[in-house]
Amino acid sequence: MSERGKIKSVAPVAVSGPALFSALRNIWNESSPWSQKQTYASRASHGPDFGNQNWPAQLQSLIAPLIATRRRILTNEFLRDWLKVWTWILAGLIVAAAFSPKLVWAIVSAGTLAVIGAIAVAILTWRARPSAYAAACRLDSAAGLHDRISTAVHMGAVENPDGMILRQRQDAVMHLAKVSPRALFPMRMPVAARRTLMLAAAVTGLFVYRIHYKPPMVALLQTTARSQLVQSILSPIAHAMEKDLQRTMALINSKPDSPDDNVRPGESTTANDLWKASDDQGNKPEDGSQDSQEANAGDQMQDQSPSAMQGGQGEAQSADSQQQENGDRQSQQSNSGDARMGGDTQQQSDSQNSENSRQSLSQSLMQALKNMMSNSPNQQGNSQANQKQPNSQGMPQSGNSRQPGSGEADKKGDSRGTSDAQQKASQNSSSGAGSQQGSKELKKDQAALPVNAVPDRVALESNGFKEQTRMRVDNGTGTARLPVRDASPQAVAVTNGAEQENIPARYRLYVQRYFDHPENGQK
Amino acid sequence: MTGSVRMEGQKGDNPLGQQAESLAEKMQEVRGEISKAIVGQGEVVDGVLIALLAGGHVLLEGAPGLGKTMLVRTLAQAVALKYSRIQFTPDLMPADVIGTAVVQENGDGRKSLGFQPGPIFTNLLLADEINRATPKTQSALLEAMQEKQVTVAHTSHQLEEPFFVMATQNPLEMEGTYPLPEAQLDRFLFKLRVPFPGREDLHDILDRTTQGTAKVVISVVDGPQIMGMRQVVRTVPVAPHVQEYVVKLVLATHPEGRENLLANKYVRYGSSPRGAQTLILGGKVRALLDGRFNVSMEDIRALLLPALRHRIILNFEAQADGRTTDDLLDEIAGKISQD
Repeated sequence: MSERGKIKSVAPVAVSGPALFSALRNIWNESSPWSQKQTYASRASHGPDFGNQNWPAQLQSLIAPLIATRRRILTNEFLRDWLKVWTWILAGLIVAAAFSPKLVWAIVSAGTLAVIGAIAVAILTWRARPSAYAAACRLDSAAGLHDRISTAVHMGAVENPDGMILRQRQDAVMHLAKVSPRALFPMRMPVAARRTLMLAAAVTGLFVYRIHYKPPMVALLQTTARSQLVQSILSPIAHAMEKDLQRTMALINSKPDSPDDNVRPGESTTANDLWKASDDQGNKPEDGSQDSQEANAGDQMQDQSPSAMQGGQGEAQSADSQQQENGDRQSQQSNSGDARMGGDTQQQSDSQNSENSRQSLSQSLMQALKNMMSNSPNQQGNSQANQKQPNSQGMPQSGNSRQPGSGEADKKGDSRGTSDAQQKASQNSSSGAGSQQGSKELKKDQAALPVNAVPDRVALESNGFKEQTRMRVDNGTGTARLPVRDASPQAVAVTNGAEQENIPARYRLYVQRYFDHPENGQK
Repeated sequence: MTGSVRMEGQKGDNPLGQQAESLAEKMQEVRGEISKAIVGQGEVVDGVLIALLAGGHVLLEGAPGLGKTMLVRTLAQAVALKYSRIQFTPDLMPADVIGTAVVQENGDGRKSLGFQPGPIFTNLLLADEINRATPKTQSALLEAMQEKQVTVAHTSHQLEEPFFVMATQNPLEMEGTYPLPEAQLDRFLFKLRVPFPGREDLHDILDRTTQGTAKVVISVVDGPQIMGMRQVVRTVPVAPHVQEYVVKLVLATHPEGRENLLANKYVRYGSSPRGAQTLILGGKVRALLDGRFNVSMEDIRALLLPALRHRIILNFEAQADGRTTDDLLDEIAGKISQD
């Protein structure tokens, strides 16, 4: 037979209402913690209860004291449990007042719960009310009657008692007359009353506070969120995420992979590529200057690219700081100018045609300004001399100029002010470039080689030329030592091989490949 | 238990109530007579009287010279019972205790085997230093103490009621002794420890025994009265919660219970049901001697040690920890009272 069949065979066909109620009551008595424990004492007590009318005549005088005793017991138990309920309600009110902006519903809920709790406690207390025998036991224990009353109640059901039981009843009644149940069971405040009162005071104070202010825990959370500690923890994460987003956008906006990685230094490179290379170099220190990006747009441009830096200088920096870096940056701009001096406008136009889909109007304007700056002969010569000097950024990874994508992406952020600053920087480039070292030797190489800035510069760097990023440069015309604003902690990139590990990983492979090139060795 | 008996309330016209009240008065007189010879030792005297009225036997344990034998002899004089004493020695045989069949010659010269009763055929038997006899001789008392009869040559001989055995043993001199087996111990209602008297009691003992003449103890009650008192004792009502308390106490001495942590740790064998019977019966007597007509929790608690201390066998761990049955019972009683 299946399990279902067994159950059907066992289960009665029709379950009557009283039987079902009795079964449920038994289950409740077995599982409920409030149900009275069925001990031998409770089961074996056959004495009359308060509701019965068969109290013997000898024990009639016991009923009133026992009822008074039970009433006091019930009252004290009700107060104790009722205070427990109030304790929980008050705790809930404290939480609600601390967090919730609305207090009306909390008060209404508390009142409802208080009423429901009072009813529930009253029902449970009345359900667990002591019987006459239990009340007699409590009275015996409290009055020190040596179980006289409880024994008399227990033997009260005996209809024809013998002499000993009668004598015992007389003894119990006689001793009970000497005690006062009301004195033995006073109405006392539960032990938890003090705790409940403290909670009530706290709730009152909190509600008074809430009349004028918003929830204290909400305010505390907001204050904590704005604190420096939290900001110091969260801001690097936010910046890192923002930077990743920018890089991702730059990669998306960049043009498809070009064979620039395979282009040798001696090969012709367009001025646009060189410009992009310098832009890319300028992008590298932007990691450490993200805060300044947010604070000052001019500073941001200064870090991101030379053109941007110049633009930033034109807007935000002082003239001294412009002089400090103009010489270095003019070399980069003059590189592009040299490229254009080669008359390779066709290449430039080709590259622009390939990027027309991505270049903005501002980029076109920027290119035009660069062309204008490159028309000046003096500027051209100085720029050629500066071309052989190391990059003002100190980054020997000049091959990065073949990564136009990032440069273009950065150029997109250039503003009109940037172009003006570039123009201004080009005018100041004569003074800045003149203070640079080793221009004579480089001029020889410049004369021998076609206009190609990157190979010459890298050749110089490969011979052991060292320059630290954003190092303070003494101008030939002056002695001012001016600090570089927003100088990012650039690593010392030395290309003689020993410190190549300081080169960022993404450029390291390219630099190594470059120095392995045979033409570089000849130079 | 106090020495004074208060019988308050109405003097009922029912005979049982009067017997109960007279019982307390008689026992108070017996206690007074015993105090003529025994100085102090109130708890021991009360325990002996309770055991006498409850129909049990008493094992007295104490050092020599503390008045154990004097107590038994004085009690025998106060209650007007036949008294005999057996000094247990290693060469004592069962026949020396219960009697034996001997060849007897009747009037016409015919000889036959006849039963010669031993010293056990008495009302009040003092088995002095019972642990010095061999287990074979000790076991001769088993049937007599439980069934109040002895069997010799396939013939059972009833002992005269009241039959009350009071055995003594010395806890110090254990060499050459035979500890009583558990079955023998369980037949004693109480095991009473006779303490050394205090300073005042010792002065009183010296005054009584070294000056003048000893006081004469007179008989207050006799055997039939004691048997009547035993019937009255059994009519004392017991409330259910008091009986529940007794059951809890006895069960708490058993190591089988899951919640009996103390018994699990230190007890090898717990109390027998005789322990619970002893507590109830002794409680009834004590209630009557105290002027009450019902057993209370205090009666049970007062009789817990003498009623159960010889019914519990401790294990090796308890002995190693120096725990005694009295300590253990006190802890159990305290724990159950807290519940």
